[in-house]
Amino acid sequence: MKRSSAKSKSPPDGLTTVVVLRLYVAGGAPNSMQAIANLESICAEYLKGGHKLEVVDVLEDPRRAMADGVLVTPSLTKLSPQPIAQVVGNLSDRKRVLLALGLKADVA
Amino acid sequence: MLRERPPPRTDGGAGLGSARLRSALRLLPKGGVERKAVDAGEIDAIVDYANSNIIMFPLAQRALRAAAKGATSTNREPAFQGLIANSVLAALPRTDYEQLLPGLEPVALRLGEVLHEEGVPIRYVYFPVDCVASLLTRTEGQRTAATGMVGYDGMVGMSLVYGVDASSVRAQVLAAGTAMRMPVERFQDEFRRCLPLQRELYRYAYIELVQARQAVACISSHHLDQLLARMLLMISDRSGSQDIFLTQEYLAGTLCARRVSITLAAATLRSRKLIRYSRGTISIVHRKGLEAASCSCYKKIETLHAV
Repeated sequence: MKRSSAKSKSPPDGLTTVVVLRLYVAGGAPNSMQAIANLESICAEYLKGGHKLEVVDVLEDPRRAMADGVLVTPSLTKLSPQPIAQVVGNLSDRKRVLLALGLKADVA
Repeated sequence: MLRERPPPRTDGGAGLGSARLRSALRLLPKGGVERKAVDAGEIDAIVDYANSNIIMFPLAQRALRAAAKGATSTNREPAFQGLIANSVLAALPRTDYEQLLPGLEPVALRLGEVLHEEGVPIRYVYFPVDCVASLLTRTEGQRTAATGMVGYDGMVGMSLVYGVDASSVRAQVLAAGTAMRMPVERFQDEFRRCLPLQRELYRYAYIELVQARQAVACISSHHLDQLLARMLLMISDRSGSQDIFLTQEYLAGTLCARRVSITLAAATLRSRKLIRYSRGTISIVHRKGLEAASCSCYKKIETLHAV
């Protein structure tokens, strides 16, 4: 699917499909809340709606986390486009998150 | 809203989860990104695959408890402590857990308390939190042999899962602590209704069966000091404490041995500086050494939880 909403910033190279993300959190624990806030901020700035984010609360469904091979929370997985990438922690290291999302590091 | 970054944690913290947290931490890949994030204080919880559990870091757990206290009665969060304290309950989806919660009541269990007697109908099932129950099978007269051990990893009252109302073993408290108990009528209703509960208990039934088989093989083929080492490690793992409050006489009863034999076995372990004991308290002082001194059955039983 083509992105259509990026106006103020030209999309980085290769960002022609919707970025599918899954964030595993532990309820409203501090790092989990911070990870959600950091990710929302990054998505709003760099993806501008060209993404799908699913937030999975591992306390609500622990089996889901195990089935997906998650070791710690918060943990972010980029499922699409390939390659799959993962970042763990509260996502305060913006450069690392951008690299995992397939966005060029120089945009950081 | 961005929150202030929490300070880095130096250890698993005190309390119930600390021993489990430490063992879960050991399973994280060395030098991996997960460990680095833990060291940086950026992690709230670890997924404990061995026990199908989510283990919270103390800071995160306190924050959740504080949030739950601050919530109104209509949107109150469920008791996270209960959610993570027993592996069977922890593995349930939250909606199922919340439906079970009104039927569960916390109880303090004393050392030596008999929860179920062999052949007697069960009145309550118990989900141990930090207590440990021994499953004893009678041999002759009043002599018994320990054929199973239930801690936070399971439930006491498994014969109900097989559709039998009476217990096949005596379940006796081996380490005092708390458990969540549920009346048998309520449990049977919930077990029929709740598929995830069935799934978890069938899984645990398998673990208990293999554990009993292994215990039989162990008692008949290993030295008593190896058996004692295994027993102490298993109790410690389930109670989350290095101190075990048991007399050697009681251990003799559970291991189907004479008291003097237990005294000799304990002396052997003490002379190797693996344990120390005095007046009903046995303390593990060198855990790795005790693991090496136990038989291979210990590792086999402990890795069962990864099934």
